[in-house]
Amino acid sequence: MDDLLQEFIAETRETLEALSGEIVAWESAPQDRERLDAIFRFVHTVKGSCGFLDLPRLARLSHAAEDVLAAVRDGKRTPDTALVNAVLAIVDRIGEIVEAIDVGASLPDSGEDLLIAALDEHADNDSDGAAAAAPQAQTAALRNASRSVRLNVDLLDRMMSGMSDMVLARNELARRLRDDDADPSVEAALERLSLTVAEMRETVTRTRMQKIDALFSALPRMVRDTAAEVGKSVTLHIEGSDVELDREMIEMMRDPLVHIVRNAIDHGIEAPAERRILGKRENGRLAISARQSGNQIIIEITDDGRGIDTERLIRKIAAQGARSEAELRLLSDKAKLDLVFEAGVSTKDEVTAISGRGVGMDVVRANVEQIGGRIELFSTLGKGLCIAIHVPLTLSIISTIGVGVEGQRFALPRQAIEEIVRVGGDAIRIDMLGDTPAASVRDRRMPLVDLGQVLGFVRDPLAAPMLAIVSVSGGSYALAVDNVLDTEELVIKPAAPAVMAAGVYAGQTLPDSGLPMLLLDCAGIAAAAGLQFAREAIVDDVVAEEVFDSGSALLFDDLDGTRRLVALEIIDRIELVPTDAIRFSAGRLRLSTDAGIVPLVAMGAWQDRADVAILRLRDGESEIGYAISEALDIFALPNELVPAAEPGPVAGVVALDGEQVELLDLHWLFANHGGDQLSTAPPVCLIDGADQAWMMTFLKPVLEGAGYRVAAKLKKNESAAVVLTMDATPSSAAAEAPVIRLRREANASANDLSIYRYDRPGLLAALAHSAGGR
Amino acid sequence: MSQLFLIAQIAGRAVAIESGQVESVVDIGTIVPVPGADRQIHGLAALRSRVVTVIDTRVALGLDHARTPATRAVITQYEGHHYAILVDALEDVAPFDQVPLSSGIVLDLGWRAAGCGIIERDGEPVLVIDLRALIPGGAALAA
Repeated sequence: MDDLLQEFIAETRETLEALSGEIVAWESAPQDRERLDAIFRFVHTVKGSCGFLDLPRLARLSHAAEDVLAAVRDGKRTPDTALVNAVLAIVDRIGEIVEAIDVGASLPDSGEDLLIAALDEHADNDSDGAAAAAPQAQTAALRNASRSVRLNVDLLDRMMSGMSDMVLARNELARRLRDDDADPSVEAALERLSLTVAEMRETVTRTRMQKIDALFSALPRMVRDTAAEVGKSVTLHIEGSDVELDREMIEMMRDPLVHIVRNAIDHGIEAPAERRILGKRENGRLAISARQSGNQIIIEITDDGRGIDTERLIRKIAAQGARSEAELRLLSDKAKLDLVFEAGVSTKDEVTAISGRGVGMDVVRANVEQIGGRIELFSTLGKGLCIAIHVPLTLSIISTIGVGVEGQRFALPRQAIEEIVRVGGDAIRIDMLGDTPAASVRDRRMPLVDLGQVLGFVRDPLAAPMLAIVSVSGGSYALAVDNVLDTEELVIKPAAPAVMAAGVYAGQTLPDSGLPMLLLDCAGIAAAAGLQFAREAIVDDVVAEEVFDSGSALLFDDLDGTRRLVALEIIDRIELVPTDAIRFSAGRLRLSTDAGIVPLVAMGAWQDRADVAILRLRDGESEIGYAISEALDIFALPNELVPAAEPGPVAGVVALDGEQVELLDLHWLFANHGGDQLSTAPPVCLIDGADQAWMMTFLKPVLEGAGYRVAAKLKKNESAAVVLTMDATPSSAAAEAPVIRLRREANASANDLSIYRYDRPGLLAALAHSAGGR
Repeated sequence: MSQLFLIAQIAGRAVAIESGQVESVVDIGTIVPVPGADRQIHGLAALRSRVVTVIDTRVALGLDHARTPATRAVITQYEGHHYAILVDALEDVAPFDQVPLSSGIVLDLGWRAAGCGIIERDGEPVLVIDLRALIPGGAALAA
């Protein structure tokens, strides 16, 4: 009986784990019959087992859940949120009871009636059920040890190396037998041995390696619960679950990942209402992906929330007093972002139940660094945050392609290879551009790197018979090799520092041949060959033409340290002026020049410098100065522009050599700082005649909301865009502007074009009409 | 206090290696070269299921490549990696007393980094070398 009970517990526990993803999936797509069936099967099995194990409480719960799910299956009930929550509460409860049975603890059965009642079609909401489930949370701590043992990693390593020895011995034996023409029965025995050894090897390897899915599978449920707790809705995307990682690393990654995900939901992603206002989808998006790159595994957590507000961060840290605000502002953008890793910093002001409980990003970083990893942040204020965790490949199994060069074999990570082609014909050829070889693969042209040359052999790149098209960040290149051998799954280990120092290797491995082999690092090879991918765009004719269209731009370091671009055409000249030629006078920064005074734009501090470089910008009529730190270089203006989040001095971001560079918005600059202010000032709505006081009090906000400046009296040279009056005839002062007349009475007499003074839509329509008719 | 030393021949000279640094003494099989690495990295070799980095001891000591490469090696571990230090021959394992280098003796080439003392075998002085000094990046911790 005890054995049966243990088996039931183990089975239930396992199914529950597998089920947690299903439940969430079912919740988001309640019509999904497959998920429903999976959950139904679970409660059904539990119910069945409870019958003969004599577990009445579990039987009652599972029976109730089964009834409801059966009704859903028959289409008698629709799975709404209340129902899903009630079923989830029951499933959770089943889990708790099972754990309690396992450790022999007792669990009060209060609240179970409520849980069951919550399933009822007429239950008003799920709050009863949820409340009933809450007190049981602490029982989770009693969880018994599952069927696993803790092993020293050293022991596993010894097991692994013993396994490899066995494989080598098997190979040796096979070779000997082949040489000696062994009798078929011996060969059959060897065959059997080989199979067993291969299977064993797989198993032993798995003891060390684990799919990262083990880390990711718990996320859907966690994201759902966390989001529900803070009243947000989040869609989760997971990619690369089958990437394999050292078990040790997976355990070390668990806490940081959970923390980052909770942070993203709590701090990063905005509440649905706020997102609507910002023009984002109501559902926040959280993407988690894992991939192998070079000798690292990169785990990326991307949200489309508000990003990191470095300004606020600086203020908070300055408020703590350790460093001054000015000192912090001098940091590079990247260093500013990295400030979130400082101890005790939270980007949110208030502490919530989810995050901000003292476990900060500093702990996350410490955890990641402990396993030799590093963490990178990419934040766009208002657009989202991407956290990339780089974990070293201490030990991993990689699918590789063996290539031969100069009689030696090397392994290339298969993930980096786009395709492998044989040189020949018109489609695939190698040409010399100057002294640089280039490969043309169908319609693509790319740099050619001869593996032999990179490794120090003297070779003729034109003679390469095979090309592996390798993609690295930034672009692709063709790697010339002598031959391509086979694909193999290999256990990669780090090589000695002196070997890694060559810069082109990612690790070493011992394949079945018994001869050590080196894994090539594709990015390292590109670097060793001196490839620069920005140049590739210029070689390409099509791109070059487009570049010509968008003109050239000056790259400069701005006063605030940011690198920006400005269209070259508009720059009249660049000159160095002493700082005392700059004054804040008459409400704005101005620069004294030989010819007079021009408005000046400065995006950062200039006061501390002896002299400042000024870009004199000219749009044909007016001129403004733009203070910069240093002019750097002239580039072809890239065609692709990512627009800025809101209008301002920066029009958007372009990619320049893989770097993000801001492009100045000339239109905005001249509109806001150019000489002719009037055209950009809001149109004036003149309030005229008697009842000015009423109109000022009641209508001013309405008019300003409609984009007008409200004035009771025109300034010199100012003309009204529209005149608002309550008099029967407008005064002569505003005779040229269209007039809107308001009246006090709700009902108009015939032929009266005036508008009732509380008829807001009518008034706004009249304003729009008169503005259009102007 | 006497320590156990391994007496080996490197580049025609007898040297003593403190036995604590020696994991095992093996015959090295096929050596796979590592193109692009330092000259003193002779290559990689498989030692049962382990991959070891083979150090060309002559080059590490600042001498020329041997015409006939050595095939015996002393295996040592440094910072988690295994290295095979090629030696011409192995002579003896015995306890000796290590004494500092007599003052005034200045070793040349790579010997200077590796040499860390003297033992006396049958009246003949033998230089004690620190294997870590032969590993690229393994700065000599020798006094």
